Amino acid sequence: MLKIKRKASEELDSGAAEDSMIENGSSDNMDDEPSSDNDDGFSERSVSASPAKVSKKSRKELIPATKAKEKLSAEVNNTNKKNQSEKVKPPTLEEINELKETRNLFHSNLFRLQVKEMLTELKIKEKYNNYIYNWLENFKQFLNKLENQAQKEDMGNQVWLKKSQIKYPISLHNLHIQQQKVFQFQFIKPKISPYLIGASATQSLLGPKVTVDICISMPEECFQKENYLNLIYDQKRAYYLAYIANKLLNCAEFGSELTTEKLKFSYHNNNPLKPILEITPTPLSNCKTILADKLRILLFVAAEESSFKLSRFVPWNSNVRASIFGDDVEGSAVMATSNYNANVLFDLTMQRNQEMLHGIFDGRRNFQEGLVLLKVWLRQREFDVGFNGFTAHLLTMFVAYLYKQRKLHTNMSSYQVARTVWNQLAYSSWDEDGKGISLSDKSTDLANQPTLEQFHTYYDVVFVDVTGFFNMTANLNVELYHRVRLEAKLAVDMLNDMKLNSFHMLFMTKHPLYSQFDHMLKINKRDVVDQIMEIYATPADKYNFAGYVYPVLIKVVLGLLRKGLGERVRAILPIEKVVDAWNCTEKPPDCSRYCHLGIVLNPDKAFEVLDKGPESIDEGADDFRKFWGEKAQLRRFQDGSITESVVWASANDSLWKRRLVVRSIITHLLQHHFQLESKDFDYIAGELDISYRLTPVFKTERMHEKYKVEQDVDSEDTSLNVIRSFDDLARKLHALNELPLEIVSIAGISPVFRYSEPVPVLPQARMIGEEMYAMQVQRGVIQLGLSGKWPSDLGALRALKMAFYIQIANLLREKHNLKTKVTYDGILVLKQGYCFSIEMAHPKELALLKKEKSERGLTQYVDCEASIALEKRHYILPKVTGALHALYQGHSSFAGTVMIAKRWLSTQLIDDGLWPEECTELLIAAQYLKTPSKQITSSPQTGFIKFLQLLAGTDWRSELFLLNFNNAMNENAVADLEHRFSTERDTFPPLCIATSFDEHHMGNLWSSGSKPNINVLARVTLLARHSLDIIETALLSTMEFIKPGRIFVPPNNGYDLVIQLKPDMVSNSWAHEFGTSFTARSKPNWRLPLADSNFLQKAVQKLREAYSDFAAFFYNPHGGKEIALVWKPNLTNERDFKVNEVNGCALSSKIDGKVAVKKEILVEDFKFILKDLYLRIGTVDEVLSASRNALPADSKTAITTGSKVFNPKIGEKRYFSQAQMDNSETEVVGVKNNHIQSKTIKSKTISAKSKNISKKRRTKPLKAKKSKI
Amino acid sequence: MPEIEGYKVVPLRLSADRPLELCHQIYMREHFIRLEDTDKPKGRTLFLLNVPPYVTEQSLGTFFRTKVDIPNKVSFAERPGRNESEKWQQHYIPFSSPTAPFKFKVAYVVFHKNTGVKRALQLDSIDLFNSDGNCVLESGMQLWHLQYQKHILNEKELQARIDKYMESYDKREQEALEAAKNSEADAEGWVTVGKQGRNAGFEQKESVVGRLEEKIVRGKKKKELENFYTFQIRESKMKNIVELRKKFEEDKQKIEALKKTRRFRPF
Repeated sequence: MLKIKRKASEELDSGAAEDSMIENGSSDNMDDEPSSDNDDGFSERSVSASPAKVSKKSRKELIPATKAKEKLSAEVNNTNKKNQSEKVKPPTLEEINELKETRNLFHSNLFRLQVKEMLTELKIKEKYNNYIYNWLENFKQFLNKLENQAQKEDMGNQVWLKKSQIKYPISLHNLHIQQQKVFQFQFIKPKISPYLIGASATQSLLGPKVTVDICISMPEECFQKENYLNLIYDQKRAYYLAYIANKLLNCAEFGSELTTEKLKFSYHNNNPLKPILEITPTPLSNCKTILADKLRILLFVAAEESSFKLSRFVPWNSNVRASIFGDDVEGSAVMATSNYNANVLFDLTMQRNQEMLHGIFDGRRNFQEGLVLLKVWLRQREFDVGFNGFTAHLLTMFVAYLYKQRKLHTNMSSYQVARTVWNQLAYSSWDEDGKGISLSDKSTDLANQPTLEQFHTYYDVVFVDVTGFFNMTANLNVELYHRVRLEAKLAVDMLNDMKLNSFHMLFMTKHPLYSQFDHMLKINKRDVVDQIMEIYATPADKYNFAGYVYPVLIKVVLGLLRKGLGERVRAILPIEKVVDAWNCTEKPPDCSRYCHLGIVLNPDKAFEVLDKGPESIDEGADDFRKFWGEKAQLRRFQDGSITESVVWASANDSLWKRRLVVRSIITHLLQHHFQLESKDFDYIAGELDISYRLTPVFKTERMHEKYKVEQDVDSEDTSLNVIRSFDDLARKLHALNELPLEIVSIAGISPVFRYSEPVPVLPQARMIGEEMYAMQVQRGVIQLGLSGKWPSDLGALRALKMAFYIQIANLLREKHNLKTKVTYDGILVLKQGYCFSIEMAHPKELALLKKEKSERGLTQYVDCEASIALEKRHYILPKVTGALHALYQGHSSFAGTVMIAKRWLSTQLIDDGLWPEECTELLIAAQYLKTPSKQITSSPQTGFIKFLQLLAGTDWRSELFLLNFNNAMNENAVADLEHRFSTERDTFPPLCIATSFDEHHMGNLWSSGSKPNINVLARVTLLARHSLDIIETALLSTMEFIKPGRIFVPPNNGYDLVIQLKPDMVSNSWAHEFGTSFTARSKPNWRLPLADSNFLQKAVQKLREAYSDFAAFFYNPHGGKEIALVWKPNLTNERDFKVNEVNGCALSSKIDGKVAVKKEILVEDFKFILKDLYLRIGTVDEVLSASRNALPADSKTAITTGSKVFNPKIGEKRYFSQAQMDNSETEVVGVKNNHIQSKTIKSKTISAKSKNISKKRRTKPLKAKKSKI
Repeated sequence: MPEIEGYKVVPLRLSADRPLELCHQIYMREHFIRLEDTDKPKGRTLFLLNVPPYVTEQSLGTFFRTKVDIPNKVSFAERPGRNESEKWQQHYIPFSSPTAPFKFKVAYVVFHKNTGVKRALQLDSIDLFNSDGNCVLESGMQLWHLQYQKHILNEKELQARIDKYMESYDKREQEALEAAKNSEADAEGWVTVGKQGRNAGFEQKESVVGRLEEKIVRGKKKKELENFYTFQIRESKMKNIVELRKKFEEDKQKIEALKKTRRFRPF
């Protein structure tokens, strides 16, 4: 036994694509004890053969942890102790087997345990099954008691329906049916008792809202001659359902609680011809459990198989005639209605397929649970929605098929079942001729049974049922099928990847369909849809789908796009919304009447600017011209060929324009073929990308003539220019042979070098007089060649470093005529309008910072805060910058995603000091690294949505973000880190990120306990959820997409205090601005600040350093002109006088001998610290209204007093001409400080009483300086 | 003037027109601890609590010199206690940007005469403004601009400072080297051992010592065969089993931890 298993597991280990584990587990006997706790769906060994003593032990280990938590942990401790102190217990054969098997089969026990745990969580409680059983029994009785209707009645003349509150659940009007032959309906009670179908039949019910499907068989006597034609079957089916619904009201079996409110109709798979009855469960006489919001029962009516001949509905038959749509009958050939036929066959073959499923699933927990796993996987990916969806039913049938094909065995574990299904699905091709599959036995060849080839001619995808007539995938969209197949392949890959614990990716995380799209096309305006249907839909399609608009529309639009886009897209997927159930007393709602398509771009081709057609003399040239209209041009190419071609953009356009080429193509196609104008449809692509584009307010033509910049550039474009300029500088530095030591390496560390700087960097830096002015400074690190002569004294080392700075600065000045300045932090260099700061890294500096004397008197090197910061900056950041730059080379959407994300955070007032920039970059990089490359989006906007999903859905406590660049960390190191993370969670920061470059700072380098702290983390999560919600609703609804401002303008509620800054002291950012909710809009200020000054950042830093015990400070680092503040809770409580806790405290005026923090004193501090920078301080409302009321005229009243007047450094004239004069006086808005005793106010300057201060604004004549231009 | 727990409470005034309720209150008293500290001599040291971040040593010193008329020296610390004053000073490294902590702090004012403390305790307020009523402390944009000016270095001046510093450093080094070469015992019988010369000692670094110690251990181990006796093979197998079991248990514990956070419900 052992040998066989070993062999099997070895095969698995080698990663064979075919499922070799089917040979495995010959002794599994899971059916033996269906109710035991051990029965978890995994193959577990029977323990009969081993000595009793040992088997007891191994048994104990198998008991699920839920039941024996304490026992287990106690035992774990015991065994651990024993392992260390005493002899190791000899392992049993079983134990070794189990351990090895799990290791090989699941790569780690963890996956196995996780799956097991998930299955227990998902298991439906017994009370549900009880209720369902009882309900069904009652329902059977109810049906038994029903009487047949005495006689047939005309369809429009059903007396019972007219009397009843219930409305007939089909609307022929919605299907554009105009003429109807009269038919008659008579209720005859079913001969076969109702039976469970769907999930409850295969014991694979899934929460949180459990859905039970029950099928009622409609007897053949209900149908008459030619009832198969022209939707009469569907109508009779609906009458039958309505009749039962009517009788259910107030029947004896279900009591008076079953009112019309509990009965709803809905469409089965959004099919308007297939209404089903949705029943909210009520307490039963024999089962009182109330499950109303956790369970629903769906009644499905299906005709008995004998009602019609199955061959009536072979794909090529026509069962819907032109006449009912009022179309011209003459001359039109009878057209095949293959999809309609399939929909009828679904009902007719219901019973037989169900019987087959029973034979396969009944009593096989492994199959049932395997199916549950697959369904969870499917539902998380949202492929199972709507008319075109890949339903769970298909999965069930596929399991059955694989069983029949002997690919699945009765003794496989649930994991193996799921794995095999994925594997088989991944390599299936049901859409290719002859490769479709069939459940029917070939031996019983019925007359007229279509062959697979025939199925393939009529349907895109073929999967035939057990009768051999019904193609279950008739409605499945072929693109969706491809997508499911791809996902299945990815699932197998993930399982094979030894380094990955794939559980979360497979089962726990949601991958909503919309977040996989790069672009989205929405056509949903009623008249536009009607126009397309009217003119461009073929009658054949109309009859085929029995007048249902949705599939026809999708087919028409999809066909056009597919042809026009070709290789540019990986997939075009329809996205459907489930039509909500409606109350049975209402008329049926209109079914889907829109076309929402998600487009997944192929990054290799999508951004090409040219579509090359056939040569002008070729046959196809004419078609090509016709298809593209006037866009088609004859072009001669460099290779001499002259071909028809379409040009969408110019070859040297920036990437953001080329990202929208597909939009141009689709817009053109819709315009050319359907005469749609751009207002007729919505095309969602790159709306949020605007956040890193150059603001249109800034006019580049006013810039320095030397360095021309286009007006419509974004930060991605400008980054490239900066990098080029820096590379040139690097070459010049390398060539400085006059230095005593050679410069051996030069690396950038600013975000711009990893394409992560969301604010465009423009070549504007310059010298004005003796000062250097620049908006941004880009930093780089150089390293010198080795030398043993560096001093081992920190001061001397730094002195030499500075000497090098001076020399490099001099050389650059003399040899290359560059402007340079030396600071302690590096050399500032002006080059081509960019400002760079070059600093030098030296390993000895790091070592000296770490140097300490140990107690033994030895010198040791211990990491300290300063040394870690230096190591990160000089040694680790350059490496990470390189790695992220490489990531960008592979996936160009990375840059945009990071930029949008950073802009989003900054506009939400989360700056680098609260949430380090690198955290954003690394989180997104982690997401990119984890995603299989085929699923990585090529649009930044989608990347950002995924980032929001990450923020919104991550459990920060249990998640470790590990970026194993180039797989530099081996498995053991990863496992070790993960182990430490899980056992010593508290030694890691709340947000934990680690990269393979971090050396021994793993996990603690990029974030810390205070950056971001738990509160900030929680706030960001909350903000992300909110933003995601807004985006999601906008994407899925039929409404227009949101204006970007909706998620880029921060809410202003919740802040205690706002400090408005002087607009002319803070320069605006060059990135697109969305405005602020704190102050009225002020004129932009394009004044260049002193290079490397950034006073606002410094100010907030100082405030945080000094006052973080009292308040939290927020500001927008990208041109924000206010600082918002939240006081710490319980700040002003009275407390005892303790020497270490009196900071900021004053004597309490209420209680003697106690002290308390006084906010108003702190506010005075802020005013003092921010002197000349702040304009006014007050609550949110005060500042907002004050900033609105501040009229330009006020400035004239400003009085200039004070002995010292602050004179800001003046930039060049033209940058000042825009500067705003009107707000330059300082105003003070009193803080809400009602408890200041007005009596004690002595000061002359405060004339008003403190209560009034808050209302009356007072012009504090501090200073007002108008610039002299 | 009010007092609390033996501290005298005085307002810190930054400008003449600021109302007293909007001023920070400074708590001061004579510095007194059992352990004598030479830097803070008994009887001559004034101890101040709750000094706001923006107050500088110089401004406090000037104020007390003019009011008390006795020369003094002011030093800060984040909190009272041993080594705290040194820690406050620690941030200073030659040739790097000054980064004095910007925090609430305590101050020690050491007067040159004993009467200083007494006289200082008589004061009604600490006024950091000049006769015009303007604050003597730089703050806001003015301060930052000043700091920025200092941040951009004058190269000639810097070069001169570097040369001077290096000269004295070289001198120190030279002296140390001399001392090492000259292997004579000093008065107490100690001999300085340098890196060079015949009697060079090894560096007293932890890594060096560790390596040496490791070498000794490794030397011993080399002589053993690891895969020779049956018991060794058995033991290594046993270890393997223990390893597997351990992983299994660890995973179980992980699950246990995960379960507490309820991460098994997909929807």
